[in-house]
Amino acid sequence: MSLNKSTLALAGILLATTALGTGAAFAQAKVAIVTPYMAQPGTQFYVEAFQAVADENDWDVNVIDTAGDVAAVISRMEDLVVQNVDAIVINVDPTQVTAGLQAAKDAGIPVFGMDAGADPLLVTNVTSNGYAMAAETSTYVADRIKGEGNVVMFVFEAFPPVQVRGVVADAVFGNYPDIKVLDRVTPDVADGGIADSRAKMEAILAANPEPGSIKAVWAAWDQPALGALQAIEDAGRSGEGIVITGIDANPQAREAIAAGGNFEASVAQDFSGIGATTADAVARVLAGEEILQSVTYVPTKLITKANATE
Amino acid sequence: MVFIRRYGTLIGFVAILVFFSVMLPGTFPTARNWLNITQQTSMLMVVAAGMTVVMVMGDFDLSVGSAASLAGIVAALMMVAGQPIWAAVSVSLLVGLLGGAFNGAMVSLVGILPFIATLATMTMFSGLAFVVSGGKTISGRAIPEDFGNFARAGIPLGEWGGVAISLPNLSIIAIVVILAVWVLLEQTTFGRRLYAIGGNMEAAHLSGIAVKRLRLIAFSLTGLAAAAGGLMYASRVASANPVQGSGLMLNAIAAVFLGTTMSRHGEPRILATVVGVIVLGVLDNGLTQMSVDSYIRQVLVGALILVAVGAGSIGQKRR
Repeated sequence: MSLNKSTLALAGILLATTALGTGAAFAQAKVAIVTPYMAQPGTQFYVEAFQAVADENDWDVNVIDTAGDVAAVISRMEDLVVQNVDAIVINVDPTQVTAGLQAAKDAGIPVFGMDAGADPLLVTNVTSNGYAMAAETSTYVADRIKGEGNVVMFVFEAFPPVQVRGVVADAVFGNYPDIKVLDRVTPDVADGGIADSRAKMEAILAANPEPGSIKAVWAAWDQPALGALQAIEDAGRSGEGIVITGIDANPQAREAIAAGGNFEASVAQDFSGIGATTADAVARVLAGEEILQSVTYVPTKLITKANATE
Repeated sequence: MVFIRRYGTLIGFVAILVFFSVMLPGTFPTARNWLNITQQTSMLMVVAAGMTVVMVMGDFDLSVGSAASLAGIVAALMMVAGQPIWAAVSVSLLVGLLGGAFNGAMVSLVGILPFIATLATMTMFSGLAFVVSGGKTISGRAIPEDFGNFARAGIPLGEWGGVAISLPNLSIIAIVVILAVWVLLEQTTFGRRLYAIGGNMEAAHLSGIAVKRLRLIAFSLTGLAAAAGGLMYASRVASANPVQGSGLMLNAIAAVFLGTTMSRHGEPRILATVVGVIVLGVLDNGLTQMSVDSYIRQVLVGALILVAVGAGSIGQKRR
């Protein structure tokens, strides 16, 4: 009896599976997205935008979320290689899934990075341009202070994507003879970066008590900018017109910018744009085109009070 | 009746294999795919084998996932500090063994219920992994290439349909661990005593079995296997982060439970655990190839465990 019941139940499950499996038409291109980070909001934007383009192209898209399990990304890539899909898109640090990338390469299946990180085994990695983001905010600062005065910089050399931002800001400020970089601070990021940046900024404010002695704070990401904002407000110096900028436009930063205080600008990545551009790259390769750039940049957007709540 | 209850899961397993082979004739029943599956399940196989050792006594170890993460982090940090790979691997295996011994001491010497003791150490090991790593993923050039290459290499088996195939190193480790646990549980007095403890701890104690010492040793072995699984994971992803082993714990317990539906009295057997792990691995592998949504896959896996274990217990009641 129990055999009959369990086999019946099993048959039910398997039948359901057959119905669920996309009985794809053979002409359709099979494209799979594998990510361990589906739960993160940015990833959902990428995937939705990707799928919109995929629908236009009538691809059979298989979105695989391994729920944080990076080894499972490799396993699923191996399965996709065996299944002989037409293209694989990953949203994970490629150095962690080299085994999967190698399997795909051996089978001649192109793999694309969707904000993954550059890797020789990827056709291209689609992401935001860190240099361009830093150029947006550093020129914003230079323009706002009319090319003269003391600027405090918050940088972080140990993390390459943030390090490049500092390089560009250095170049922009260095190009103005009357802008002086008062301090180039690397905050301790162990607690997220806000608290230590605030402490560092308090010390700098104390050392420069004259109103107007600090014209701007340029931060390579939002947390130090938020810390500097707290320090300036608590020191009662928010009326001096010190201009603060961050990068990334996280929700807390947007809120501060919308409030209209010293924190004036940040830069938002275009997550949907990254998803759509990745799909375009896939389409180009499926059409037989060769992509030469190992990294494909998607434009970013300056966020100010005017558009912070969008 | 007993035949049906005992072999229902096995019949179900065969049905799954037949189903995928029919649905995916060109890709599923191939040597290459099966070698992939052995590699994909190798880490779970090792952790589940260790889990079987304590579950034989009717105990649990919820800390295996955290222990696996901690082992990976310890090895990665040592390699970053310039230590040779063998030293890093040895130390992190030792960490797993000591962590397991600590579990064993809490359970057998102090007398805390395994569920509670290992729930506590699960949190402790996880916290330690975060403390020593600073919460960061250790990856990239900091990890020696040889360490990552190990998981990508294997023993060449020649060609199959024009594709070179090999038996992956990770699969070899899993096979060795399974054999070791099989010998330990099925061929030694130590193993028979563990089953005696699982049958009736009081009776085992009265018949002169050193229950405390055996439980201590069993938990140590489970910790050691968890660390080995964590190292295999770290090698496969050529990196380590403080949570990467966390998925292993529930899957290991699920695999052992699936296995228990195949044994005479519902006790864990290592070869049945192996089938349990393969069922989970095959479902992931086959359903991915059939493009079934990954969330649906989770629901199906859970449903399957309920069906298998449920059918088993219905059969038991009838009897």
